[in-house]
Amino acid sequence: MADPLHQFVINPLVPINVAGLDLSFTQSSLWMMISVGAAYGLVMLGTRHAALIPGRLQSVVELAYEFIAGLIKDNAGREGMRYFPAIFTLFMFILFGNMLGLVPMAFTFTSHIIVTFAMAITVFVLITALGFAIHGAHFAHFFVPAGAPKAMIPLLVPIEIISYCVRPISLSVRLFVNMMAGHMMLKVFAGFVTALGVFGFAPLAVTVALLGFEVVVAFLQAYIFTVLTCIYLHDAIHMH
Amino acid sequence: MQRLLRSMITSLPALVLAAPVFAQAADEVHETSAGLPQLDPSSFPSQIFWLAVSFLLLFWLFRTKALPRVGEVLESRQDRIAADLDRATKLREEAEAALVRYQKVVADAQAKASGQIAATRERLIAENTARQAELDADLAAKVEAAEQRIQAARDAALAELHSVAVEVAQAATQRLIGREVPRAAAEAALAAVTKEAA
Repeated sequence: MADPLHQFVINPLVPINVAGLDLSFTQSSLWMMISVGAAYGLVMLGTRHAALIPGRLQSVVELAYEFIAGLIKDNAGREGMRYFPAIFTLFMFILFGNMLGLVPMAFTFTSHIIVTFAMAITVFVLITALGFAIHGAHFAHFFVPAGAPKAMIPLLVPIEIISYCVRPISLSVRLFVNMMAGHMMLKVFAGFVTALGVFGFAPLAVTVALLGFEVVVAFLQAYIFTVLTCIYLHDAIHMH
Repeated sequence: MQRLLRSMITSLPALVLAAPVFAQAADEVHETSAGLPQLDPSSFPSQIFWLAVSFLLLFWLFRTKALPRVGEVLESRQDRIAADLDRATKLREEAEAALVRYQKVVADAQAKASGQIAATRERLIAENTARQAELDADLAAKVEAAEQRIQAARDAALAELHSVAVEVAQAATQRLIGREVPRAAAEAALAAVTKEAA
């Protein structure tokens, strides 16, 4: 039976070495590019006719557009719409990474902690910078809970700062662990199908059910990542 | 976690059947794997680099090409709906104005008609009255003329009667006394008698 972790091994397709740094084009990079192409292709194909009454594909695109627009307006307010392209890109990139990763033989780049962490820390750094850019030094008051007794402040501020700094970690680990666990489960149960011979139908049924679950998880994790980004954006714009 | 547990529970029969295989597989994992591939830092630069490249590429494509198109479609639909609503409102206003105009025309026509009716009636009444007055005057004139004629006839008759009476008196006197009384005396005597009788 195959090693369920083997699917996560990065295989270089085109070895590239820049100044001693291994920047090889791997199967992970390939699926990132495929996700980019698929996400862009979907939107362009959906708006090809720009019909007044949308067809199916156009409805999907408009639904995605208005879904993210609604998410931003609900969670970050109207001011958050300035960052709509970035958040839409974030959602589509993660969603397509998750969804395409469920295609057999595909690689799920979001199942790597370094990818999710790089996205999360970028979001975190940019949003924190935005907070300071909007509110200046006053943004530091964000770490002082409103209405807290003076005596508690020395205790509360470090807690607030820690909980703030943990955000990129929880954001990235949540996505990465969900993707990795789902794919491991799928691999393990798919392995049982051949190992059990005639009784293989039982793990096969489980695999089918799991795949359905994973589709939901793939969407849900992309959604959670985006929603949390919007909520952090709200904190940066409005502070509380 | 819950999802994991639930799938574990649903797959319990399979797990029981597969227990020996699973144990073997677990051993294999232990022996061959050198840990999670995700924690192998040698692939980190490549992953971060290509993540940045692909993410920025998608961001650029969306921002400059795809999203303006979607926004345009949504906006044009919004505009179209707004324009349709505007037109509907305008048409309704026009219809209302037309209704008001129509009502005004009807009211005008009614007013004019009743004015004409009143005028005609007045004219007819006036005509009638005039004709009546004319007729009255005509009749009065005729009555007057008749009365005058009657008066004249009577006067003539009376005058005649007077001269007849004088002549009768002359003739009677001649017959009675055989003497011709002059006309003037007879007239005077008659006048005295009439005066006495009156």
